[in-house]
Amino acid sequence: MKLLRDIAYVRSGDKGDTVSIGVLASSPEHYPAVLESVTPEAVKTLFGDWVKGDVEVYPMDNIEGVMVLMRRALGGGATRTLRLDQTGKAIGNGILRLPVVSGH
Amino acid sequence: MTKHVRLGAGSGFWGDALDPAVELLEKGEIDYLAMEYLAELTMALLQRQKLKNPKLGYIPDLIPHMQALLPLAKEKGTRIITNGGGANPRAAAEKVCDVARDLGLTGLKIAVVEGDDILPQLEDLVASGADLTNLDTGETHFAGIRNRVAAANAYTDSSAIIAALADGADVVIAGRVSDNALYVGPVMHEFGWRHDAAHARQVAAAITVGHIMECAAAATGGMSSRFAEMPRMGEAGFPIADFSEDATAVITKVEGSGGKVDAFTVKEHLVYEIGDPREYLMPDGVADFTSVRIEEVGPDRVKLSEVDGKAPPETLKMVVGYEDGWIGEGMLFFPWPNAIARADKAKESLMERFERLGLSFDQIHFDYIGIDMLHGPASPKPDYDPSEIGLRVAVHTDTKEEAEKVRRACSQLWIMGPGGTSFGTPIKPRPVYALWPTLIPRGSVSQTMEILEV
Repeated sequence: MKLLRDIAYVRSGDKGDTVSIGVLASSPEHYPAVLESVTPEAVKTLFGDWVKGDVEVYPMDNIEGVMVLMRRALGGGATRTLRLDQTGKAIGNGILRLPVVSGH
Repeated sequence: MTKHVRLGAGSGFWGDALDPAVELLEKGEIDYLAMEYLAELTMALLQRQKLKNPKLGYIPDLIPHMQALLPLAKEKGTRIITNGGGANPRAAAEKVCDVARDLGLTGLKIAVVEGDDILPQLEDLVASGADLTNLDTGETHFAGIRNRVAAANAYTDSSAIIAALADGADVVIAGRVSDNALYVGPVMHEFGWRHDAAHARQVAAAITVGHIMECAAAATGGMSSRFAEMPRMGEAGFPIADFSEDATAVITKVEGSGGKVDAFTVKEHLVYEIGDPREYLMPDGVADFTSVRIEEVGPDRVKLSEVDGKAPPETLKMVVGYEDGWIGEGMLFFPWPNAIARADKAKESLMERFERLGLSFDQIHFDYIGIDMLHGPASPKPDYDPSEIGLRVAVHTDTKEEAEKVRRACSQLWIMGPGGTSFGTPIKPRPVYALWPTLIPRGSVSQTMEILEV
C-alpha cells in the first residue's frame, strides 16, 4: 500500500492549542493524490483522542500543498501540554502514515 | 533601476546561533539586520524577571549579541531592529547604550519602542466589559484567571519601528511587536508605504517575506524534510531578503555559507505555523499565502511575487500568560528482552507509588518512548521485541510539592522497578504558564517611540 510518505513532505508546529501541518507534494504530479488523501475525516481518525477539536484542510494550489489545522490538539498548548513534543514539531510527520487514496 | 532594500535574519529565537548574524553583517551587504527572540511563553518569563528586578525583563542574550554586532553594524551602515527588549525595552535600550559607550561608539541613535504591555490597563479592559474570549478554547470566564495573570501583551504592528527609522535610529529595540514587524517595518519605511487599502498588496508582500525570514535557518534548510540533502547545516547561512519596490523579493543567503535556499526550503517555511493560508493575519495587514508565486531564479536564489492581501484587521491579538500549576515529569528506560512488558510493569508500579504518596493531580500522561511518544494514537503497535524503550510520565498538579512527588516516585523505582530499569538525571518539577489568546480593539493599544542618543 502506498503511503503519504511516498509522495509528500511535511512541516508542523503550534499556534496555541492548534497543531498546524503543512503537507507538500514532493513533485507537482502528486498534488492531486495529496488533495484526495488528506481529508479532515482521515486526519481526525488517524490521531484519535489527541485531537479534541475539528480538523480543517486548506488547499494551496500555488505550492502544490495543503494546510492541515488540528484544533485543540496539543494537550492545551505548548506551555501546558504534558506531551514531550510541546510545539508539535514531530506530530506532523505522523500524517505521512495516511494511505494514498487516488482516482488518478 | 528599481529601488531595493536588503534585510538579514540574524536570529530566529532566543537561543539561536550568533555567528550567522556576524556573517550576515560581514558579507551579506545588508541594510537591516533583524534580531528576533520572543516566543509566546517568553513574555511571561521576562515579566516575572522584571517584577523581581525593574532593570531586567529583556532577553539577556541581547547584551552579548549587541557587543558583538554593534561595531560591525556601525562600520557597514546596517541598522539593527530587535524585539529583544521583551518585557522591558527601556531597560534593554539603556543597557545597549552602555554597551555602545564601552565599545567607544558615538553618534548612535537607539530607539525604544513600547506600548505592547497591556498589564497596566488590563483592569480597565476587564472593567469596560471587553470581550476577552479565549481564541483557543472559546472560554469566556476571564475572571477565573485574572488573579494569576503574569503577562498580557498585544502583538503590535510596525508603526513605531517605521517612526524610529524615519528619525534616524541605528538600533530599534522593541518588545512584543509581531516578529513579522521587524521585517515589514524597514520595507515600509524605505518605500514610504502606508497601512491603507492602497498599499495592502505591497504590505502583504512584506508580511509574506517577513514570515519566510523570521525563523532564520528554517528558510535555509533547517527543519527540512529533505534534511539529508542539506549541506553543512551546522554552518547554515541565515536568510537574506532582497526586497524590491515592485513588491517582489529574492530570498538568498551569503555565498559559501552552509544550508540551501531552493523553492522547497521556502515553500516548507511558507506553511510553518500558520492558520488559514488565505488570510495570514498580522497587525500590519493580511496576506494571502495561496496567491504567492515561488520560483528559483538562480543558485540559492528564490523569488517571491504576486502576493495578494488586504488592509490590517481592526483588532490586535493579545496573549495573556497566567500561572497554571506545575508539571512533574520522569523517564525510565528498559532493555531487551521484553522491554515493553518491563515498561508495562513499571507503569503499574508507578501508579501504586503515586497512590501511596497521596499524589493529587488533575491530569496524567504516559508515553512509551520509541513506540508512541511523538505520534500518539497514530502509532502502530509494535509486532516485535524492541531493543530498548522508555516510559515517560508527566503529571499536572496544583503545587510544586505535589509535582515533586512524581520525581520521588520515579526515583523509588530505581530499585522497586523491573530488572534492567535505567535512568538519566531526574527531572525537576517546572511551573506552568498557560496562555490565553484573545483579541482586543486596536484603539486600546498605543505604541510609543523614543530615541536615546549615545
